[in-house]
Amino acid sequence: MKRLFAVALGVLTAIGGFVDIGDLVTNAAVGSRFGMSLAWVVVVGVIGICAFAEMSGRVAAVSQRPTFDLIRERLGPRIGFANLVGSVAVTFLTFVAEIGGVALALALATSVNDLLWIPLVGLVVWLVLWRISFGVIENVFGLMGLALVVFAVAVWQLTPDWDVLWQQATATNPPATEDWLTYWYYAIALFGAAMTPYEVFFFSSGGVEEGWTRKSIATMRSNVFVGFPLGGLLSLAIAASAAIVLFPLGVQVDTLGQVALPVVVSLGKLGLAVTLIGFFAATFGAACETGLSVGYSIGQYFGWQWGKYVRPRQAARFHVVLLVSTILAVGVLLTTVDPIKVTEYSVVFSAIALPLTYFPILVVANDPDYMGENVNGRGANLLGLIYLVLVIVASVAAIPLMILTKAGQ
Amino acid sequence: MTASVPGPRYDAALNLLDRQLVDTDGRLVGKVDDLEIAVDASGAFRVSAILVGPGALGPRFGGRIGDWIVAVWARLHRDERPIPRRLPMAEVVSVESAVHVTRRTTKSAGEVWLDEHVIDRIPGAGHDPG
Repeated sequence: MKRLFAVALGVLTAIGGFVDIGDLVTNAAVGSRFGMSLAWVVVVGVIGICAFAEMSGRVAAVSQRPTFDLIRERLGPRIGFANLVGSVAVTFLTFVAEIGGVALALALATSVNDLLWIPLVGLVVWLVLWRISFGVIENVFGLMGLALVVFAVAVWQLTPDWDVLWQQATATNPPATEDWLTYWYYAIALFGAAMTPYEVFFFSSGGVEEGWTRKSIATMRSNVFVGFPLGGLLSLAIAASAAIVLFPLGVQVDTLGQVALPVVVSLGKLGLAVTLIGFFAATFGAACETGLSVGYSIGQYFGWQWGKYVRPRQAARFHVVLLVSTILAVGVLLTTVDPIKVTEYSVVFSAIALPLTYFPILVVANDPDYMGENVNGRGANLLGLIYLVLVIVASVAAIPLMILTKAGQ
Repeated sequence: MTASVPGPRYDAALNLLDRQLVDTDGRLVGKVDDLEIAVDASGAFRVSAILVGPGALGPRFGGRIGDWIVAVWARLHRDERPIPRRLPMAEVVSVESAVHVTRRTTKSAGEVWLDEHVIDRIPGAGHDPG
């Protein structure tokens, strides 16, 4: 019974925790401009994050070594350091976007300008990272994030013409209003949003925080293989709601309020209230995850004591990194930069940074010295190799496409 | 390596370098940033100690970044001519996915400074996790 509860809790938090500001904004933006014609990218991205999260989780469970330990060990200090700089930059950018997202959600709920919320959000995020235990952070915001199921309810309540959605989803070309270059630019953005590198940093380090062993592998797999795909369905529901309501009107998503608009149209005020709770939980939870991931990556590269499983005093350098990065993130947002714009860039830069993370994981998951009998099977390797090619292609194509399309405009 | 070295053999570059160091309490104490090589009585080269910290890591970087890491480390260090932290191989218990060492390793000077001047001044620094 206790085990069943643990599995159910894990799956539910994985669903609720899957969506962050990147998924919210990118899926709604894509739904409003391309209908469902890029839905396949979400499916491809979810399969990819499942494959690599499972590998990194298995490595962490068997060897107690999280992802950045492996990156340093396999790539050596120099390339490992270049990797650290790139990965931390992208994760920090995502951290900025998440804090901005929390402020935008609060601004929507209160009509108080988001710039006034930003310092307060920064303070509360830091307090949570300082004082609240890892398990509580993960479970509370994961479960609250389930409020985003309201998007699926909205899609159902809008009684869409399912044939039209299906035709969009199976179309082999972008809608008449868009060209191929923007189509592929947004495909990469969606891919980056689904596979963000911080997810594996956080997932594998969380495994160490929670003391996973070989026995935890089955539970971990159920979280990944059930929770993540259901979280991916939430992403698709967000895209579908925009495709149904905004796409025919030609409205493009530039604000977080527009992401919520289809829910308001179909479910009214109550729907909006639930959506705002979902926005808050998804962005606040992800702000904690990305903030921790910055500390995890730097701590693991240098071999410092890191983690929430020890007293802050015992992990002084880790907590200094958390404190400094939160202050910096608030500083960046107070320059009045648009958090939605930060989000749009963060998902594309995530796509660029993907090979840095996924290559070392694939190598170590094949190392019998580390993994013993739990090395990758053929299926995992085939999938891993296919995705390695995909992430390299996406990474190489991202910047030229960004320049050619003027970042999708 | 020759047969004069007792115990299991490791490929120093593959199995030791850049691995996590863990002490007997399970505390993470640093990385194997570099290795000290000595010539033993039979004339064979063997790893005599593990070197830890930026002072050991910098030279492995080489180039300007490497010089810069060592320079910053030396400037912030208490000693006039600092040497990297050194863990003799005799203190290594086992080499697994991490390198386990025997003694409760003391904190590095930089860590102590941050602890005393920043973290310990914030209420709740000593509260138990969980």
